[in-house]
Amino acid sequence: MTAVDAPAPEAVPDDWRAPTLSDAEYRWRARRYRFRTVRRAAGFLSPYLIVWGVFLAIPAVWGIFLSFNQGGLIKGDPRVFVGFDNWTRTVSDSELRTAVKNTSIYVLIAIAVVFTLAIFLASLLNHYKKGSNFYKVALYFPLLAPPILGALMWFFMVNFDFGILNLIKRTVIGGDGIRFLGDNPHALLTIVAVEVWRGLGFWVLFYLAGLQSVPEELQAAAKVDGAGKWRRFRRITVPTLRPLLLFALVIAVIFNFQLFDSVQVLTDGGPRLGTATVVWFIHKRLFKFQDTGLAYASSIGLLVVVLVLTALSFWLLGKRRQREA
Amino acid sequence: MARDVTTDPATLEEAPPPEATDDATAMAARLAEAGRAKRLNERTRMILAYVVLTLFVVIAIGPAFYLISPAFRDSVSLFTYPPEWIPSEPTLDNYRFLFSSTSYVRWAINTLIFAGSTTLLTLATNTMAGYAFARLRFPGRNLLFFVILATLMVPVAAVLAPTYLTVNTIGDWPIIGNWIDIDTYLGLILPSAVSPLGVFMMRQFIETLPDGLYEAARLDGAGEWRIFTKIVLPLIKPALVVLGIFVFMLTWASYLWPLVAATDNEFRVLTVGIASLKGQFVTDWGILAAASLLTIVPVTIVFLFFQKWFVQASMAGALKQ
Repeated sequence: MTAVDAPAPEAVPDDWRAPTLSDAEYRWRARRYRFRTVRRAAGFLSPYLIVWGVFLAIPAVWGIFLSFNQGGLIKGDPRVFVGFDNWTRTVSDSELRTAVKNTSIYVLIAIAVVFTLAIFLASLLNHYKKGSNFYKVALYFPLLAPPILGALMWFFMVNFDFGILNLIKRTVIGGDGIRFLGDNPHALLTIVAVEVWRGLGFWVLFYLAGLQSVPEELQAAAKVDGAGKWRRFRRITVPTLRPLLLFALVIAVIFNFQLFDSVQVLTDGGPRLGTATVVWFIHKRLFKFQDTGLAYASSIGLLVVVLVLTALSFWLLGKRRQREA
Repeated sequence: MARDVTTDPATLEEAPPPEATDDATAMAARLAEAGRAKRLNERTRMILAYVVLTLFVVIAIGPAFYLISPAFRDSVSLFTYPPEWIPSEPTLDNYRFLFSSTSYVRWAINTLIFAGSTTLLTLATNTMAGYAFARLRFPGRNLLFFVILATLMVPVAAVLAPTYLTVNTIGDWPIIGNWIDIDTYLGLILPSAVSPLGVFMMRQFIETLPDGLYEAARLDGAGEWRIFTKIVLPLIKPALVVLGIFVFMLTWASYLWPLVAATDNEFRVLTVGIASLKGQFVTDWGILAAASLLTIVPVTIVFLFFQKWFVQASMAGALKQ
């Protein structure tokens, strides 16, 4: 930079003098410069900012206002301001409470199962490298199909009459089949199984990437020092994975908390609200046009929960970066 | 084993003084045995590991195969017991019904329009915005970026009602309302193209390009737009492919927004259409299987050709944040 700012002495012409600007001229030029930078940036930013502003930012803010209203989604049902009424009712509404409870149970079981299986399979793939590419691709397969189609595939698998799970159950154990989607708590557990099936491939790849970042010298050194397999796993692998694990946990909670597609297509919240989830509840209330106010308020509740968790995940990621640096 | 060595006559005959060697041979034998046992142990472990892995692979891809048989027979024959795995009278009736009596083709075309336009729009807007955040200096840059990034995780469900109302309101306006409304393509596409993930990804990627490139271009008198199209775009092609696959996969699989924004059969997409084939009380299993299978097969073929890109794209979503 200095080379440009201060030209070499011989290059300076005899009649060179420092540019002098009057204050007014200087201010005008500074303003013109600022205007140009803003105009240039605006040209690049405006296409995204318009779409983002109109269809995400403004609706998000509008949603906060809506949570104090009732109705307004269809012509015959005008919007009425009801104050804190929606919010006081969210606390006491039994259907919403069931939905929150179901979603929490679902999130806990699904994440526990999928993380355990994923870490287990990832460490197998990390150890036995032969043919691991095939296994990775095959395990990834369920993610290709939209959640709706994945759920529909399992709709065939768990059918009472011809689903393969019930055929196996009848021949091996005997007795009648299991109503996977018609009884509680089977229905929620079936949803858990479907979602674990869908997500497993992703988390295996995720943890495999994490495992491969564990330096091999560390493992070898510990081996020389006589550390057993389990000890090496506890003392080396787990500590290296821990920040990744926490971050993954938060992300998984965020995504799983929004469970909707498979519930909507497999059980529609039933039997007897046994698989009602928060997003299912919001959708139901909004588009069956019944008590929309409660849906407006719980939307904002969901938004707040997700934003808090997002902030947490950024904080965790920041901590990891700091440690790496 | 150790005892064998000492009692073996051949070993005994040629045995040097017993006190010293007995221990040594015994130890060697014990070591050899331990090694063999360990190797055997490792072998069983390996076999076990591959059995477990294969089992999970079967679970992962099995359900798709379970659709094949029902797709090619009439639904009544599904309910025979004992089950008939290979249909005695295979039929294409389900597919005939799918093409003649449902709007499957319409849904498929809509899905391509929906996911394709969303992807193109996202790529264009996000790359430009990413470039601005990476290269241009303007007042309020960091604050604006932070505000945009804060909306990264906003769930579709959380803004479902206000977004629906926004699109509905714009639909009542003159002229523009003909294009953006509930049950229009743009009303479906625009709210699906808002995620800032691509802006963030592109900013990160463009920041890694060497400064010298820009300075050289600027000295040659190239303007900002020219630098962007002639220098930056060709260099970030890999990132564009990854982001493009990611957005396309996410969009065509999406369900909640299309479910409420495209209720008219003319604008319905595949996910909503296929889900609507599953009746509330009576399901035509054969048609459901046929439609699902027909939808999965082309995606799988494309995936097998471009698997590396796919896997990278799915990781991009989680790790590049």
